[in-house]
Amino acid sequence: MIAQLLSALIFLVSLWLILSEKVNRTIIGLFGAVLMVTLGKLLHFYDEQQVVSVVDFNTLGLLLGMMILVALLEPTGFFQFLAVWAGRLSRGKPILLLVLLGTITTLVSMFLDNVTTVVLIAPVTILICEILGIQPTPYLIAEALLSNTGGTATLVGDPPNILIASAAGFTFVDFLTHSLPVVLFTWLAALWLLRHLFRHELAVQPPNAGVVLQLNPRETLDDPVTTRKVLIILGVAIVFFFFEDALKISPAFIALSAAAGALLWIRPDMQDILKRIEWSVLVFFASLFVIVGGLEASGVLGYIVSQLELLKSIPPVLFGLILLWFSAGLSAFVDNVPITIALIPVLQGLEAHGFNIQPLWWALAFGAGFGGNGTIIGSSANIVVASLSERTRSPITPRLWNRRGLPVMLLTCTVASILYLLLFPLFQR
Amino acid sequence: MDFLFPMGESVMIKTCMKQNVISIPVTATIREAAALVVKHHIGLLPVIDPNGKPVGIVRLSDLLSLELPDFFDLLPDLDFVHDFGAVETSRPSAEELDRPITHLIQPGIFVEESCGLVRAFALMIKHHLYDLPVISNGGVLVGIASRVDIGAAILYNWQSVDTNSQ
Repeated sequence: MIAQLLSALIFLVSLWLILSEKVNRTIIGLFGAVLMVTLGKLLHFYDEQQVVSVVDFNTLGLLLGMMILVALLEPTGFFQFLAVWAGRLSRGKPILLLVLLGTITTLVSMFLDNVTTVVLIAPVTILICEILGIQPTPYLIAEALLSNTGGTATLVGDPPNILIASAAGFTFVDFLTHSLPVVLFTWLAALWLLRHLFRHELAVQPPNAGVVLQLNPRETLDDPVTTRKVLIILGVAIVFFFFEDALKISPAFIALSAAAGALLWIRPDMQDILKRIEWSVLVFFASLFVIVGGLEASGVLGYIVSQLELLKSIPPVLFGLILLWFSAGLSAFVDNVPITIALIPVLQGLEAHGFNIQPLWWALAFGAGFGGNGTIIGSSANIVVASLSERTRSPITPRLWNRRGLPVMLLTCTVASILYLLLFPLFQR
Repeated sequence: MDFLFPMGESVMIKTCMKQNVISIPVTATIREAAALVVKHHIGLLPVIDPNGKPVGIVRLSDLLSLELPDFFDLLPDLDFVHDFGAVETSRPSAEELDRPITHLIQPGIFVEESCGLVRAFALMIKHHLYDLPVISNGGVLVGIASRVDIGAAILYNWQSVDTNSQ
């Protein structure tokens, strides 16, 4: 009993400190993990052997592999190339610019890290808006919201999806057959709503729209050779993702193989690549696995699951919808990674009690994915866009985000709920 | 230009500085600072308190930062932008121009009249300054020297190096 109380306390205090953002989340995560293992060893419920088994190396390997590919692509100017190309293609028409920049950001973030995509595309967005003489705010907010929404479509698009896929054994194709159709509708709904919410800003026609035509995308591409090599490797990796089930290989193995192949082919300055990898994210993930593993080992999660057994009388569809909105609500205020890592063992526990959790995984993916749109701190992409805008003359305020992002979150979650209801038989498979 | 110091000796900045310094009171607005720069065609304005003591500087580039677009700081490379479009015709708002100069003031580097020329030049390079304000022992602004003023005075000294002595 004391082990359960103390491990729950370590988890809750760590989570609270992570959410309060007073101390760096990786430091708290690592310290919380060490405390949990210390407690486990003192009270004999958790040891180093268990720690190694609870860390999901499939997730960490996939993240690391994709981070290396992004680190190779980042300095080539590829992301800027895409943004400038979208700007040119729009011919300075505001609505077209919003759709094109939103689509490009979404498509890229479906396969590559959201934050990197937004960090590199947003400054070019500000450039395009400034030379056109229009407000960049609608475009920046749209990029973050649409990339969060689009990222939910693929296994590699969003960290919660990687975690869910690893825990549930979902393949890349499973995401394309289950999540992509839902995301397609929600994404279009989000775009429609953004167009409506920003109708006044988008109605302002730039006086000299032709100025974007003098932007030459090729000039932004600093290293076309490396760009081509990384894109080829990335393409091959995506093809392998399709066949992971048939070939009996894990996504982590594919991503790390792609990273190794790309490094060998390009042979970059390794120090520079290592600096670009977000080690803090990897350590944070590993720490959370250890903390939640401790909760599981002490029996806290088992207790929660036994209490949830009362929910067995609730129809599975309704249970899924409750989980979708519950995880979305939390994800709006909290990083969706800790939520997903904490909810995964709960779902696994429910399975052991005879629940069909297959549809619940998808509910969690949609909730965690779309919920992040709700507030300015809901997702990393939102935070990045907001902090970039603070360096401009038109900063995005939390109040503005609530007026633009929250409606998008509510609409996407509603559309996802309707589709979840209609396609429920699909999600049971 | 004629220099009024003996060739080959250690020379102080006061020998080559301009004594007629255009400065601005700390209570002035950004608009007044810009007008002074335009009128006198200068790149740096020392900001002084009512006692004539300098409290900081405002450079031409600090004033121009109000006109530079936001993307200037956000993008590492601007070469691919061949036409700045609307940025070229946008102006700071009246509200922005009527703000006190204290919004743009930078902590300045001030040297005393006895400062050596090489030290003065080195400080300018290190702090990316093109003009260096000079203060008296009492801390009052008494002069200003440009990179060219100081550099030419240093080069003037080279004439004392005898070719045949090498």
